Amino acid sequence: MAYAYLFKYIIIGDTGVGKSCLLLQFTDKRFQPVHDLTIGVEFGARMITIDGKQIKLQIWDTAGQESFRSITRSYYRGAAGALLVYDITRRDTFNHLTTWLEDARQHSNSNMVIMLIGNKSDLESRREVKKEEGEAFAREHGLIFMETSAKTASNVEEAFINTAKEIYEKIQEGVFDINNEANGIKIGPQHPTTNSTLPGSQGGQQAGGGCC
Amino acid sequence: MFGRSRSWVGGQGKTKNIHSLDHLKYVYNVLAKNTTVTDHNRNLLVETIRSITEILIWGDQNDSSVFDFFLEKNMFAFFLNILRQKSGRYVCVQLLQTLNILFENISHETSLYYLLSNNHVNSIIVHKFDFSDEEIMAYYISFLKTLSLKLNNHTVHFFYNEHTNDFALYTEAIKFFNHPESMVRIAVRTITLNVYKVDNQHMLHYIRDKTAVPYFSNLVWFIGSHVIELDKCVQTDEEHKNRGKLSDLVAEHLDHLHYLNDILIINCEFLNDVLTDHLLNRLFLPLYVYSLVSPEISEERKINPQVSLYLLSQVFLIIHYQPLVNALANVILNGDLSVFTPQADIVSAHKNMASAGSVRRFTKPPESLERSLELSRHRGRKRTQKRPNYKNLGEEDDDERAGGGGGIGGGGGLDEGWDDDGRGGEREGGREREKGKGTEGGGGGSSKGSRASGETAEEIEMVVMEKCKVSELTEQNITDEEKTAAATRTHTQRSRPFLDMVYSALDCANDDYHALFVLCLLYAVSHSKGINRDLLERLQLPVPEQERTSYSLVLVERLIRVMSQAAQPDGKVRLATLELSCLLLKQSVLSGNQCIIKDVHLACLEGAREESLHLLRRFYKGEEIFLDMFEDEYRSMTSKPLNVEYLMMDASILLPPTGTPLTGIDFVKRLPCGDVEKTRRAIRLFFMLRSLSLSLQGEPETQLPLTRPEDLIKTDDVLDLNNSDLIACMVVSKDGCQAQRFLAVDVYQMSLVEPETKRLGWGVVKFAGLLQDMQVSGVEDDSRALNIVIHKPSSNPHAKPLPILQANFIFADHIRCIIAKQRLAKGRIQARRMKMQRIAGEQSLKAQFATDVLGFGQAAHASPSGLPFRFYEQSRRPPNDPTANRSVFASVDKVPGFAVAHCVSQHSPSPLSSPSPPSSGSGSTGRCDSVTASTISAQSPTDDGTFLEHTPPSLSSGEGEGGGGEVTLVSSTPSTPVLAPSLTPASQPTISLLTDNNADALSVESLTLLPPADSPHLHPCASHIHMAHSLQRPDASIAEEEEEEKEDEQEKTGEQIDEELQKEESSTMDETETDATVKEDNTTAESLTPTEETPEEAEGGDGQLPAAELQETVTATNSVAKTEDAETLTETPDSPELD
Repeated sequence: MAYAYLFKYIIIGDTGVGKSCLLLQFTDKRFQPVHDLTIGVEFGARMITIDGKQIKLQIWDTAGQESFRSITRSYYRGAAGALLVYDITRRDTFNHLTTWLEDARQHSNSNMVIMLIGNKSDLESRREVKKEEGEAFAREHGLIFMETSAKTASNVEEAFINTAKEIYEKIQEGVFDINNEANGIKIGPQHPTTNSTLPGSQGGQQAGGGCC
Repeated sequence: MFGRSRSWVGGQGKTKNIHSLDHLKYVYNVLAKNTTVTDHNRNLLVETIRSITEILIWGDQNDSSVFDFFLEKNMFAFFLNILRQKSGRYVCVQLLQTLNILFENISHETSLYYLLSNNHVNSIIVHKFDFSDEEIMAYYISFLKTLSLKLNNHTVHFFYNEHTNDFALYTEAIKFFNHPESMVRIAVRTITLNVYKVDNQHMLHYIRDKTAVPYFSNLVWFIGSHVIELDKCVQTDEEHKNRGKLSDLVAEHLDHLHYLNDILIINCEFLNDVLTDHLLNRLFLPLYVYSLVSPEISEERKINPQVSLYLLSQVFLIIHYQPLVNALANVILNGDLSVFTPQADIVSAHKNMASAGSVRRFTKPPESLERSLELSRHRGRKRTQKRPNYKNLGEEDDDERAGGGGGIGGGGGLDEGWDDDGRGGEREGGREREKGKGTEGGGGGSSKGSRASGETAEEIEMVVMEKCKVSELTEQNITDEEKTAAATRTHTQRSRPFLDMVYSALDCANDDYHALFVLCLLYAVSHSKGINRDLLERLQLPVPEQERTSYSLVLVERLIRVMSQAAQPDGKVRLATLELSCLLLKQSVLSGNQCIIKDVHLACLEGAREESLHLLRRFYKGEEIFLDMFEDEYRSMTSKPLNVEYLMMDASILLPPTGTPLTGIDFVKRLPCGDVEKTRRAIRLFFMLRSLSLSLQGEPETQLPLTRPEDLIKTDDVLDLNNSDLIACMVVSKDGCQAQRFLAVDVYQMSLVEPETKRLGWGVVKFAGLLQDMQVSGVEDDSRALNIVIHKPSSNPHAKPLPILQANFIFADHIRCIIAKQRLAKGRIQARRMKMQRIAGEQSLKAQFATDVLGFGQAAHASPSGLPFRFYEQSRRPPNDPTANRSVFASVDKVPGFAVAHCVSQHSPSPLSSPSPPSSGSGSTGRCDSVTASTISAQSPTDDGTFLEHTPPSLSSGEGEGGGGEVTLVSSTPSTPVLAPSLTPASQPTISLLTDNNADALSVESLTLLPPADSPHLHPCASHIHMAHSLQRPDASIAEEEEEEKEDEQEKTGEQIDEELQKEESSTMDETETDATVKEDNTTAESLTPTEETPEEAEGGDGQLPAAELQETVTATNSVAKTEDAETLTETPDSPELD
């Protein structure tokens, strides 16, 4: 499939903060959020457009692999962007952010764009972490911040796309070495793939990505 | 989009609730009607598959009948059917994602079993997808990963088929172990780890017997190829251009090691055996270790020694699996080249593993992983019976070995080592261990003996003895069979080419490129949990937190050499190297709370410390910035101690050391650039060696940091302010708060107080801040007001300074305001000067230090250095002494003279004479300083060390011998150490005493006496290469250790040394300095022996005469420094003789 760039993301944060739901919500909107169904996925890809350029996002959830040091280490290193997610209804998930961030900073390449996400913003009544606290944390550590709800799909789109924009800007500024795939950025094939695959690719946006 | 997708299903209008059994039935019908994929129904099918997932998950969470229906209709079969039609990526991806979601979200065990039954999942796993499509690849591998996360002792049976020997999930996954896409590789690793984690013996046996060899041999080859690429990257680097790529490759290597470690710590024993075998024999030994010694031109050599040292350090830092690291360490520390000769075959041949029938070599596996997996599947099960089981393999091994004793060459030693360890050490290599104990015992005993006797000659004899003893011991303890074996390999076994290489790479004469890696390696080895303590102890390597009585002379000697090289003005030793050397040295010679360092070594170390002092003195300038740098370096050094693991993660140290900060390399990992950095380096060097020296002597640090929080006035302290100068003012802080306060200026701080209610004249501190960090400025429109900002001292120079006080002070009138401003400004200058003074004191303290070294703490206490501090302390706290009290807040410009005196000395033109210890506070110190320096320069190139060591004994002779000596001391110096030091400066007249003239005259004098100011550095290299006397002995002992095996020769060496020593001793009769060095060793270890001291004492007594004369010329206070001065001076006339 033809794209200008491919960005690899990882999603990190405590278990149960809704990482895989965010991922699914972003990559496949056909799974409509329903009150009696929690559903997520560990990997997804989707095409977006920034600055008129097709950009493919590949998102890898690291859940369940924390027990292996080698795995988390490698994940961090291979990503251009990271979504650091906490649950606004659980204070402890917010308190653990520092640890996550330290880990990320230690293992990732220094240019990795990190977005802080306070998830489950639909559960206003059970909120334990104020939005201002999230904002303050983000400001202090130089992150982008956003509150989202995987359930209502609020801000999910923006979270992923804003991160991509940030990465894209860094590429334009020449901060990222795009020829180095270890950074989690890949340049698309120079020549768009032949016509025979094009019908498939159009559909693929729906299947794999569900992009409009 | 949302609406559209819904319409695919919802549009049919059959049902409203898509989450229901009914809907599943409907969807099933759609599937059943569209068994063939066409362009037409593709979208419909995709949406159908997607909604099946949704319903199934909903069913799992809400209604189990959904699953029943799913199974009953065998809907998985439809999926497979669709897949097999080569329906294109669109459908494939959707199917894979559906399965992903399905397995990810299923929470009920039974639902999972339903899904996994019928082997459909395995059929999907082995389906030949178009893996060239990166999207399909990604979804596929994620699918496998999701499945692997569901593995446990029950579910594993759905994937692993004992009867057909199939484990598609695992075997299909590992085929992608070297996929170019990093995320795929990570997923493969995750899958393998999840598999190994399942504790199912059958499955694990299958893994080991059928897949382990192909997988691990390919993995090892893959890692090795990366290493070679890494090495190429280092070799072809020009101007650090490859750093980006290099750091990726290094990170990759670390990833590999962490992965290997993750496998090893799952602790699946027989998998680990295979892995260990491959790692050792196919990678670490042939590629890493062999590269240490192989000649440059040799084809065998694959990578550069420095790369290999670096990588080996990483191995030891990360992997702690005992059989692996112990065997590896054993070869490096103990092994020889026979490890690589074909002899190894005898042992390894019946292993039927990677090493079977071949030499340890880094070679490409004969076939690709996929191919070998294929083959091993077809080779089938009959061969499994024949294959030796890993459990009986060991027995065979042992039998074989017991029978063929002599046949096992040197190479056997290694195999033995790790085999036995791997098996819980039931048959730990008998000879090796016994011999080890012998050595250890002998070593321990001898060094104890030598310490007790303190006789140099004897000590060397003991070392010789030790060698004999060892060989005797071994002879006695080993069986006949072992004896013959030992006989055949004495020659080879005793040579340790790898260890030799490691030690010799510690040489920093040209650069510390290799040395840093060696230090890291030694650090990593000694900290590894997996390495047998016996092994380390046998070689007397530093084991942290272990009681011991001896240490490796070779190592310690080299470490000290690194330090002394670092202290050279043009030393090419980076700070990281130095810090690591200090760390290792401490580890080597500190046993519990005791320091077992030999006096010779301590003396050499002190010599290095001394040189660091000279170096620092070169950079010491009266400039304001020096103080800030000094304090800042101290802060950043203590707040960020070296982390070896992080250090070894940094690829930049793999490239030759550079000096320019433009590379972005951290300061401690490169050489200094420019004067400022050189100063910083000198400061750190000084700190490190000082702290090392203090901790080896068990002395607490009393001088640093210059500002200790416990010495400062803190908020809420209650002070007696009677007789202090106080200025009332209104403090208006930035946020508008107002408070009535009294401003008081102390030596180092300004404070804002309010009256104590209970005691008249006392005040409670409401704020206290360091004067040195204060900025005072007037306020434009108010002549009664001052704006004051005090910044918090920060350890990070890049951080924005954080103000702790930011306020306007409004005084009663503009006169008060001016007074306050002056007082603050002066206070600030003087606070800084005081500190500079103390730094200067620090630097001229060597004499005091020498006394400390030799344990004459008393003298140290009386020394001048402590003065400003003590004085300060005494005066500050109110309750102590009424007289001191009075002066606390007396206006600053009247505070005891030394503070002011310093400003004069600071301005004195001669750089050498400038820093003076505040105590004596007058020109005399300046002179003392310069004379000291000059003395050194006048001395032979040999060493500054001798000088240093020399001084104390004469002092010691005074104290140690009592009567006579003391008389000399007292007579020569009016003020004795007994005098309370704090009194001295106080009674001293202030500025008048120290005039510029005086200082000038002195420095001129010193200059006339001696060669140029920087003369101490004239012979930087010579001083440690052939340090005439003090270093000779350690050198000799190194030689000894290195030539362990040649006993005959060795004895000769011993004799030679004896002779030399005798010569030395006789020569010392007329040369006081050198004599001192030697004697110091002898005397301090035991109590002093008067006979030997006499000549020197006499000399010392005589020598003090000129000193006394000199003293008379200068009006100054006297202190112990004087005595030392005097001593120093005595040397001056002698020195020409030395040359």
